Amino acid sequence: MKKTINSILRHLVLLLLAVVWLIPILWLFVTSFSGYKGINTSHFFPETWTLDNYAQLFLQSDSIVQYNRWFVNTLVIAVFTCLISTILVLMVSYTMSKLRFPGRKSLMSFSIILNMFPGVLSMIAIYFILKTFNLTNSHIGMIIVYSAGAGLGFLICKGFMDTISVSLSEAARLEGASEAKIFWKIIIPLSKPIIVYTVISSFLVPWGDFVFAKLMLNSGIATDWTVAIGLFNMLGKSMIAKYFSVFCAGGVVISVPISILFLIMQKFYVEGITGGSVKG
Amino acid sequence: MKKKVLATLLATAMTVGCLTGCGGGAAEEPAAEAPAAEAPAAEEPAAEAPAAEEAPAVEAPATAEEGTDPVANLIAATTGTVTLKVWASEEDQDLTTKLLDDFKAAYPDVTFDITLGAESESTAKDTVLTDVEAAADVYAFADDQINDLVNAGALQEVVANYTFDVVNENATGAVEAAAVNGKVYAYPMTADNGYFMFYDSSVFSESDVQSLEKMIEVADAAGKKIAMDISNGWYIYAFFQGAGLELKLNDDGLTNTCTWNAAGGTDVAQAIIDLTASGVLVDMNDEDMATQIAEGNVVACVNGTWRAETAAEAWGDNYAATKLPTFKAGGKDCQMSSYSGYKLVGVNPHSANVGWAMLLAEFLTNESAQTARFEARGLGPSNLNAAGSDAVQANPAIAALAEQAAYATPQRVGGNFWSPAETLGQILASGNPDGTDLQELLDTTVEGITAPVE
Repeated sequence: MKKTINSILRHLVLLLLAVVWLIPILWLFVTSFSGYKGINTSHFFPETWTLDNYAQLFLQSDSIVQYNRWFVNTLVIAVFTCLISTILVLMVSYTMSKLRFPGRKSLMSFSIILNMFPGVLSMIAIYFILKTFNLTNSHIGMIIVYSAGAGLGFLICKGFMDTISVSLSEAARLEGASEAKIFWKIIIPLSKPIIVYTVISSFLVPWGDFVFAKLMLNSGIATDWTVAIGLFNMLGKSMIAKYFSVFCAGGVVISVPISILFLIMQKFYVEGITGGSVKG
Repeated sequence: MKKKVLATLLATAMTVGCLTGCGGGAAEEPAAEAPAAEAPAAEEPAAEAPAAEEAPAVEAPATAEEGTDPVANLIAATTGTVTLKVWASEEDQDLTTKLLDDFKAAYPDVTFDITLGAESESTAKDTVLTDVEAAADVYAFADDQINDLVNAGALQEVVANYTFDVVNENATGAVEAAAVNGKVYAYPMTADNGYFMFYDSSVFSESDVQSLEKMIEVADAAGKKIAMDISNGWYIYAFFQGAGLELKLNDDGLTNTCTWNAAGGTDVAQAIIDLTASGVLVDMNDEDMATQIAEGNVVACVNGTWRAETAAEAWGDNYAATKLPTFKAGGKDCQMSSYSGYKLVGVNPHSANVGWAMLLAEFLTNESAQTARFEARGLGPSNLNAAGSDAVQANPAIAALAEQAAYATPQRVGGNFWSPAETLGQILASGNPDGTDLQELLDTTVEGITAPVE
């Protein structure tokens, strides 16, 4: 009896938390099907249901809502950033974890401290440096900004590589393998879970970033924007009454690539976590 | 060793980058040809460098070809592609795209590369001042931003006209709004950035809308609401100014003078509390107002031309607009005042083609452009001819704005006004829940409004 009451109470708390977390997402989701274009706070569920918002998002680009372009822009930036920063992180981690060279410790502490400063601190300086090179309002500039500092985020990945036995790389070295070969053929195949983690986290940075994008893409030309800026712009004073439900649709669609990425990577992710626990 | 080489290379690359950055700017500037061509004696040519530097170089052709068309001079002085970046508000994109095509067609001998970006007039200042050099060559903004823009050197003074007389063809108020210290810095585009009363004439009669108390009585009987964004400095100003209390910008262009806490101030505050206490006059922001009008809960609201479409749609034939009503403060009727505002088009002095940018700004604000803007979006023209047309005169919202104009003042106020006024509005609209002494409340507000700017 006591057990049942306990379990009911526990589930009630969980239910409450679930409701608190899910309501905003649910509201966003149902509003994206609303027939009324503006914000309507007097109803939770829309009065009329329609798919028009999604159709408008993809099929009827106007001069300020160019969702397809934004999506492609963001995807290109995110994919390249993801590739570059994943490789950088893995390589730096390997260096820090497996190689021994003078100054390694101090270099490590230095970069960890450096990485602790919030990136936005240097925002203005970065803007003017890139402006000098004419890289503002360019997607290449954005990719550089997002991936340039990635190597500093090696800490977690290095921690993982430390758990891979040194004897493996030593054996390979005795067989005459070069460092590159050890890295690509031995360490990388053993690091799948952490690669998945790195890929997902480095994809998410440019995908969801607003601050840098807003600063860098300041031409006001809608076709240059990323999704984050475009969606923000749809909430402007003059736009919100006509575009709010379209904005919600855009918000729902933006979660699709992340979900796909996670589904693909999930297999390795779970494998890695369970694999680690068995090893432990 | 290698590292040193790399470091040196990087440093060199950056230095070279800096040099080319500056050099590029200087090389492009000479294109700032014509605006000074007609400049009457170029008295203290605006602080902005390009025009000033180029003025002497330009004088020669001007004297040589005296009496010729300045546009012809401009075309003759142009070689290569004219690159211009234009910012117009989101709602103005379609119209501006069309106007830009017309502009290109009007000067077929010149190759243009004009890009159009979206930037709301209300936020133009923030975006422009982030990096003036990267801002658009021609951009639209609301007239209250003009002081800051001029101070930051983001506006080219209008020293000469190409196609029409900006000063004399626009309403005096609009030209004053576009001027700082007697010098015109922008081209008036619309003259409707103010507010007035929209109402549903099936609920209110014309005599009802003369007084706010009467309106509340009628709306209460009908079980409907009247909406006004009281917790917004822009609107709450209507009450205090209407009761004869003052709020104005000091000569320094930054700080304010405010007498809202003087004698009579508490009457106004009490009046706002009483008016909202009925539950009929509700404090509501613009977005909610749009929804509530459409749903039929709100039958009258204080708002501007941008809501005309929503109201006309919801109320159909009963859609009406008029000047703001009177309200009772301290036992006497006071006519509510309002802010009048204008939308302006400015030219960036950092533009590589200042001459063409000015010509384009004229083109975007001339009589036919303003008429087109009225027809497409119902915005009130500042151009006298366009504003005098029958179609404009027959528009209820613009007629109401003209009626209100007698009680309106241009919006000239320092940045410290907004948040204290907003707080005051919130407290009064919610009925002064803490029971603070009204005089004390107003004193605090005024202290905030008149605070010095660091």
